[in-house]
Amino acid sequence: MLAVEGVSAAYGRLEILHKVSLDVGPGEIVGIIGPNGAGKSTLLKTIFGYLPPFEGSVRFAGDTLAGLSPDRVMRQGIGYVAQAGGVFADMSVHENLVLGGYSLGSRRAATAAIERVYAQFPLFRARAHQRAGSLSGGEQRALAVARTLVVKPRLIILDEPSAALAPRFIDEIYATLAALNRSGIALLIVEQNVRRILDAAHRIVVLDMGRNAFAGASAELRQSDRIRRLYLGEDAG
Amino acid sequence: MVEEILEFLILGLVLGGIYALFAVGLTLIFGVLDIVNVAHGEFFAIGGYALYVAMVVLGLSPAVGLVLATAVVFALGLVVYPLLIAPLQKRLGRRAPGPLFLVLTLGLSALMQNSLLAAAGGEYLKVPPAVKGGLDLSFTFVSGQRLLILIVASLGLAALFLFLRFHRQGMAIRAVAQNPAAAQSVGIPLGRIFTLTIGLACALAGLAGGLIAPLFSVYPAVGFTLTIKAFAITILGGMGNLLGALVASLIIATVEALSVLVIPSEWQNAIAFGTMILVLLVRPSGLFGKKQP
Amino acid sequence: MSGLRVRTLAIAVLAAAGLAAPLVWSHPFVLHVAIQALIWALFAASWDLLSGYTGQVSFGHAGFFSIGAYTAAILTKVAGLSSWLGMTAALLLCALVGLCVGFPALRLRGHYLALVTLGFGEIVQLIATNCENLTGGPFGMHDYGTFTGLPSDPLAQRQDAYVLVAAIALAGLAIMLTLTRRTNAGPAFRAIREDQILAGSLGIDTTYYKLLAFTLSAGFAGLAGALYAYYIQLVSPTVGSAAASALVIGMAVFGGIGTIWGPFLGALLLYSITEGLRFIGVVYNLIAVGAVMVVFVIFVPRGLAGIRLHRRGRQQRADRPAADAAS
Repeated sequence: MLAVEGVSAAYGRLEILHKVSLDVGPGEIVGIIGPNGAGKSTLLKTIFGYLPPFEGSVRFAGDTLAGLSPDRVMRQGIGYVAQAGGVFADMSVHENLVLGGYSLGSRRAATAAIERVYAQFPLFRARAHQRAGSLSGGEQRALAVARTLVVKPRLIILDEPSAALAPRFIDEIYATLAALNRSGIALLIVEQNVRRILDAAHRIVVLDMGRNAFAGASAELRQSDRIRRLYLGEDAG
Repeated sequence: MVEEILEFLILGLVLGGIYALFAVGLTLIFGVLDIVNVAHGEFFAIGGYALYVAMVVLGLSPAVGLVLATAVVFALGLVVYPLLIAPLQKRLGRRAPGPLFLVLTLGLSALMQNSLLAAAGGEYLKVPPAVKGGLDLSFTFVSGQRLLILIVASLGLAALFLFLRFHRQGMAIRAVAQNPAAAQSVGIPLGRIFTLTIGLACALAGLAGGLIAPLFSVYPAVGFTLTIKAFAITILGGMGNLLGALVASLIIATVEALSVLVIPSEWQNAIAFGTMILVLLVRPSGLFGKKQP
Repeated sequence: MSGLRVRTLAIAVLAAAGLAAPLVWSHPFVLHVAIQALIWALFAASWDLLSGYTGQVSFGHAGFFSIGAYTAAILTKVAGLSSWLGMTAALLLCALVGLCVGFPALRLRGHYLALVTLGFGEIVQLIATNCENLTGGPFGMHDYGTFTGLPSDPLAQRQDAYVLVAAIALAGLAIMLTLTRRTNAGPAFRAIREDQILAGSLGIDTTYYKLLAFTLSAGFAGLAGALYAYYIQLVSPTVGSAAASALVIGMAVFGGIGTIWGPFLGALLLYSITEGLRFIGVVYNLIAVGAVMVVFVIFVPRGLAGIRLHRRGRQQRADRPAADAAS
């Protein structure tokens, strides 16, 4: 569904990604891990259009994404949940959801969609008029996810969904993501919390210094001594 | 004495309405694009010129003239982003040094003002008031034009605030001001919102220009002093804060009006400049602002 | 000789020829334009030292120019000082005012700094307009005389004035260039322009250097103002108007912000061209300056200076720092 091939991207003259490839099939959960500075966030930003790649291709369901701005990429059916500051903090929960439905055209068209999201996330119905910035970190993350759901994406891209969250909230987020995946939505997740993503994802892509380092089914990687040593701090054998 | 103060208070309110239309627009541009539009006064001036053309040259009614003036300036404002700012942003990236955009709008201001001078001459053109007569209060007489300004300015600002609060595009404008990346992620096209924002802000300035034309006269530099005062107002209110701009406009206008009782009128303009410098030294974020300098 | 030597020599020869030309030609109007062009050139270079080179953008620089002009005029008229003393006093007083303005400006960046300097310029103009006893009010001052020791023959007077103004303007330029190219101040100023916080953390005393930039820039602007006062022999509030501030910025943009010699040259050229084309109409040259600012900022950001120094490769985009973006 999502096919990233040989993508290279740079900030000015500083090249971050060198010919990176990955793909996400329909209904799959793919995790991206790697050391700091590996370019994981940059890869997500490049796919979603915040940064244009200078070589390679990004295709989604056959359509080319590379070079499109984020507001056009999302209309292809992709949602994006940023690492931090993803919600409109000075607006209410309800307004955030209304904005989530911006691409549907009129406000009326969005109303039904928003109702559906409230049904999925009853917590927000009660807090509909609360200022989004006053929600807890976990709730804000959930709101950001909920916002993408207003327009029924086929793929959601998440940048470190567990970042700065207490374990309880991480559990909730991942439970939500699992439920979304069961309903057919594919997920592409960058994660620092390697254990979590090994559990949650079907496949893992490892990025190092802006290049593909390793890829495989997460079950396979869980067995790999090298991965365990590098990322889980466990001694092989 | 009380009557004098009340009279000046009313004057302050009327002027405050004009200042508010102007400063709120300026703040809107700053809040959404992070650009200070030094040329805002020229759009204000064009509003006056458009009204002059409509009423004096074409003989249209004041109402039509005012609507026309606002529409003309709105259309002009729509052009600014795609023609001037977008190319610079494209070359430098959105995080270009602010001063460069300042220089751009400064150049635009010089270009527009002198073009007006060349095209229309430097005389002070007279525009007849839209409304004759007035309201006779016991202590003073409030002219119809002043009442009109109060009413139209209030309605205009109310309409703007309602638009920003409830309309889909108004919410989009607020979203871009708050969090451009997130706004893009929900499908809001930045370029179009920037264009709309500047258009709206200029429309407000043009409306203000048309409303005050009978009182100020119309000439190329008519917007200049107002521009500088508006800078002071936006800093007092907190740059990027619309409500702050509104409140600060009323404060500055009222203080200016009342100051006539205390200081010679030539120094009236110094109030705004002095306030600005004072605020920047003591509390740079202004009354309501959050953006730190 | 190496390529650089040849180029430097060529520039020197061209410059010398250019400077000698008005003298050789000796047409009164040509001298008139040339003298004013040099005054604006010094003014523009002083603006660039502060705003382009050190990144502290000033929108009210004409305020310093005005203070310099009035100081010279008042001292000569009231205290009978020679123009040499008048110019020196103007330089020193404006340097002091610049220092004072620099203090509050330390805490401000970008838009806020530009706006507060704009306010400063406006206040100077207000004072010039309203304090009639001191400044002669809206009509200004005009009976204080010209440079001391000039011959009375109009043409000879103008020729000598030209030599004097050229010498002072070039000396000012030389001082600014030496400061920025040969001393520690140069890299410090540039560091402050690029990234103030980083500069501070690298041990650069940003306070000292910012104040230094303000002081010197204001001083030279004031000197230019004094030159103006003694040559034109009329000082009025419009000398310190926002339009004048905008004009000097336009000249700097034309010449190339951040190079100091660029704005100097840009002012010389732009002033000469617009004055020379006066027969088209006074307003059109102002329109031209506005147009130049708009077009150059977008399409020719490095001004004339950038056109000459042709560098290979693309200009680095001013995007987010890489550390910020990579994860």
